[in-house]
Amino acid sequence: MLLPTHENVISIVQAKFSCTEIVRTLHLNASITQKGWVDESRILALVEHDSTFALFIIISEKVKPESFSDLTIERAIPIDKHFSCDTDPIPESYTHIIFSIIHKKLKLNFVIEIGFESSNFASEVIRLKEVSSFNVNNFNWLDKYSCGGSQTEIDVQQATMNDQSPDLPIVRQKVAQGHGISANRESFLRYQLSLKEPEYTHLQEFSIFVGTWNVNGQPPTISLKNWLSVDQEPPDVYAIGFQELDLSKEAFLMFDTPREAEWRKAIMDAIHPDTKYRSVAYVRLVGMQLEVLVNNSHYKYIRNVAIDTVGTGILGKMGNKGGVAVRLELHNTSLCFVNAHLAAGVEEVERRNQDYNDINQRANFRRHPYTIKEHDQVYWLGDLNYRITEQSAFQVKKYLASDDLASVLLADQLNQQKDLSKVLQDYTEGDITFQPTYKFDLNSDVYDTSEKARAPAWTDRILWKGKGIHQLAYRSHMDLKISDHKPVSALFKSEICVVDQNKYRKVHEEVLKKMDKLENEFLPQVTVDQSEVIFDTVKFREPQHREIIIANTGQVLAEFEFIKKLDDVSYCKEWLSITPFSGCIKPGEKCDLRLIVNLEQPLESIYDILVLHLIGGKDMFITVSGECQRSCFTTSIATLSRAPVPLLQLTPDQFKHAENQQSSILYSIPRELWLLVDHLYRNGLKTRELFESTALHEEIIRIRDWLDLGSMDPIPGSIHAVAEALLLFLSYTRDPIIPYHLHDTCIAAASNYQNCKQIVMQKMSDLDRNVFLYLCMFLQELLKYSNENGTDPKTLATIFGDILLRDPIRNSRPQANRGKASFIYHFLINDQSSLIMPCK
Amino acid sequence: MSAGPYNYSYIFKYIIIGDMGVGKSCLLHQFTEKKFMSDCPHTIGVEFGTRIIEVAGQKIKLQIWDTAGQERFRAVTRSYYRGAAGALMVYDITRRSTYNHLSSWLTDTRNLTNPSTVIFLIGNKCDLEGQRDVTYEEAKQFADENGLMFVEASAKTGQNVEEAFLETARKIYQSIQDGRLDLNAAESGVQHKPSQPGRNTLSNDQQFNKDNCAC
Ligand SMILES: Nc1nc2c(ncn2[C@@H]2O[C@H](COP(=O)(O)OP(=O)(O)O)[C@@H](O)[C@H]2O)c(=O)[nH]1
Ligand SMILES: [Mg+2]
Repeated sequence: MLLPTHENVISIVQAKFSCTEIVRTLHLNASITQKGWVDESRILALVEHDSTFALFIIISEKVKPESFSDLTIERAIPIDKHFSCDTDPIPESYTHIIFSIIHKKLKLNFVIEIGFESSNFASEVIRLKEVSSFNVNNFNWLDKYSCGGSQTEIDVQQATMNDQSPDLPIVRQKVAQGHGISANRESFLRYQLSLKEPEYTHLQEFSIFVGTWNVNGQPPTISLKNWLSVDQEPPDVYAIGFQELDLSKEAFLMFDTPREAEWRKAIMDAIHPDTKYRSVAYVRLVGMQLEVLVNNSHYKYIRNVAIDTVGTGILGKMGNKGGVAVRLELHNTSLCFVNAHLAAGVEEVERRNQDYNDINQRANFRRHPYTIKEHDQVYWLGDLNYRITEQSAFQVKKYLASDDLASVLLADQLNQQKDLSKVLQDYTEGDITFQPTYKFDLNSDVYDTSEKARAPAWTDRILWKGKGIHQLAYRSHMDLKISDHKPVSALFKSEICVVDQNKYRKVHEEVLKKMDKLENEFLPQVTVDQSEVIFDTVKFREPQHREIIIANTGQVLAEFEFIKKLDDVSYCKEWLSITPFSGCIKPGEKCDLRLIVNLEQPLESIYDILVLHLIGGKDMFITVSGECQRSCFTTSIATLSRAPVPLLQLTPDQFKHAENQQSSILYSIPRELWLLVDHLYRNGLKTRELFESTALHEEIIRIRDWLDLGSMDPIPGSIHAVAEALLLFLSYTRDPIIPYHLHDTCIAAASNYQNCKQIVMQKMSDLDRNVFLYLCMFLQELLKYSNENGTDPKTLATIFGDILLRDPIRNSRPQANRGKASFIYHFLINDQSSLIMPCK
Repeated sequence: MSAGPYNYSYIFKYIIIGDMGVGKSCLLHQFTEKKFMSDCPHTIGVEFGTRIIEVAGQKIKLQIWDTAGQERFRAVTRSYYRGAAGALMVYDITRRSTYNHLSSWLTDTRNLTNPSTVIFLIGNKCDLEGQRDVTYEEAKQFADENGLMFVEASAKTGQNVEEAFLETARKIYQSIQDGRLDLNAAESGVQHKPSQPGRNTLSNDQQFNKDNCAC
């Protein structure tokens, strides 16, 4: 099923490339999973040039493109030593896989359907990759697909910096082409604004209070003031996390607990009294709860608040362990708070690391930025559960008794795992100057006296990541004794990027202006080397041509086509043809157009304005003109019969006189017709296939000039040429010998000679009738020699029926041809001499 | 910070008409690029420019067609009037003949556009005060008599250029608000959704009927 359609699409895709760049194989319908890329149907194409291969990513406006104009080349990736690719299963998907392409810093993930097409394509890419590793290849041919070769490197870096969103030049190109307009504009704008951020923002310090407490399922029977309101100045932001808010089965299974409201009230009662706060976000998963509050006056600068929860507990997904997160933007800085409760158990270091990784991977805010790590500032708090393993409880307590925290901290699992880059790799933690916060006997300051006698540990921690964060305090709060953990808090002075609205508006305007400018700059631009095409004297059936060169002077592909003007039936008049009449020119390249004029009508001059349209751009007018030379071939029988001398010897006045219906008819048949027929009568009666062979074009032209100019010389050209000239003469006379309005009557009467005769005798003008009967008599004469010339009445009737009864639009009614032939046939086999009458 | 969406809500089509050499192309260039193009080549065809503006808090994309002014192209450029929401009719204050031809341009505009099309008269080259050939008062009176908006402008200095384009847009926008301009009418010259420029401007179906004509 796939193959035949593919062949078809390959040829469409091939049209985007030059003939030395050959599309080898394709993969339709690949979608990119990364953010920042416009979600459009893409085609992957393997293209070969001079034994080098490249992978092209092509955006198609349709899933199956119908023409090359549906396609836009988005990116070309050389298959060289920097190239690699890979396939990965998608968890729980049996129909699709991820096909990733890596080139230097660029990594693209495509989701493709598993099947013949994908396995074929992937194995071909892998094979080419292996082949290419052995060669040093020249990929200059790709430069033209990347908006200036040297730029590519920088772009790739920019793209990587910018989370691998589309390259600027491509956005530019797409903006220019008006493709996928809004998505590209939006990302371009965002990108430009982010580059200029320093111009319209300044940094302002905000105090952020972060607190964490594992409350061991206890209700809030005490005030939290000694934890939340210990600093003199009220903080601007609070982020307060609890773990083990409720240890009951109900909380675990029903996800519902009365404790939630109780603790939230306890917070509200205990926050700094000097300022009013407002809750910005609140999230809970089983026992993990996180609430973010801000000073009322900052509330209006908070935007895009989102939450997510990740359960990593039982079965790897229940909420007894895991994390809850809140993200928001405060002015122009994105903040993320994560409250985590990692796996318990002294030895479960790997599980804790795993939980951390799971939270990072699975937290998704369903908006940009999606993940925790993408935020400007991240505050990670919670009961991380890392313990002290290398020292006995006794040993630890001894160090603590002598205030030797440093010795114990050396054995802290979190510090060790962090040093090994196994967890919280990019995070910073302030110096710990407080005692371990776990595990206390309830309502005391005494470390675990139970049988287990666990070594005290700093399970409750606060870390951060991001620019401009300064920790002012990091402490535990020993006064709060209801849990086996003590609460911990940290106070930060964090630099928040504040937008100056006036400056922002200005920059925004500037960027918009730049985009407008780009859009104009990137409109397709071409020049034509002449906008006025003047032909030499145009003569009947003597084609002339002129070349026009269209040069693409713009920066994008120029697609051109000639378009018809309002009320016109075609983009050019019938005497002109243009090849090609549409096409595509790459920047810097040219295209030759050939305009061919071929006159078959009685025109005094030709004149037309052609409209050359650039798709998505301007129109250009090309004026075509020329004087025409009169010819007997396109002049009416009547005019010729009134002309005293050959057409080109006539003065304009004489010609006007000849055209005048009132003027007297000088010849009963036109002089020119007589000359042709008479010549055939004298020299051609015994010629075989007289009307069935074609003459040289030049012979016809010489006969034309001989007739039009008048000459004493014998008629030029072979007997066959004269015969063809006769047919042409009869075919192009301004009106057919039998007038159009009689055609249907003739065809209707064709079965009956008497009826046919009646039409000729009664309906035709004397002149037309004379010409008609004269021709018939000549043809009858010809038939007398049918033994020698091999002709027969049917053949002649067919040839002349078509001409003498020609349709207004050539060959518009092929079904009428039989009737026409039958009509003529009567006049070839019956004697007509009695019908001829002298002209009045 | 994610800015207000760049997406525009409307597209307005403009045409710029008037005799050759009055400065139509320069006005377009000044408006889109904020520059004076002194060596502007003759327009042989229809140039195309675009810019996004803001009216009453709405982003509007202007698609501007700058037509060739030569008499011999008149028949062809008439095709471009259709579907214009705004028409900028330009004369040169230093050349009376260009002013005298206004009534003929106006007739074309009235005949070929719809009644709600906003027509704005621009007396260009007002930087050339010394060579003035048409007084402000005279043109103003012509504009008033014909219900046109009017300014004198200079594509060279940029004076009043922005104003003319924006004022036209404001007037069109007002018509939409008042319900005088029917957005659903095919030829209103206003589109709600972004689309590719120029696809359907000259004639609505650009198939090539060449094949079935008599040739
Ligand atoms: N002094 C002056 N010259 C102008 C102004 N606008 C256009 N021109 C000049 O007038 C000539 C014709 O301008 P152009 O825009 O090509 O006219 P168009 O045929 O109407 O498009 C050019 O030489 C311009 O430099 C203007 O505002 N002031
Ligand atoms: Mg111009």
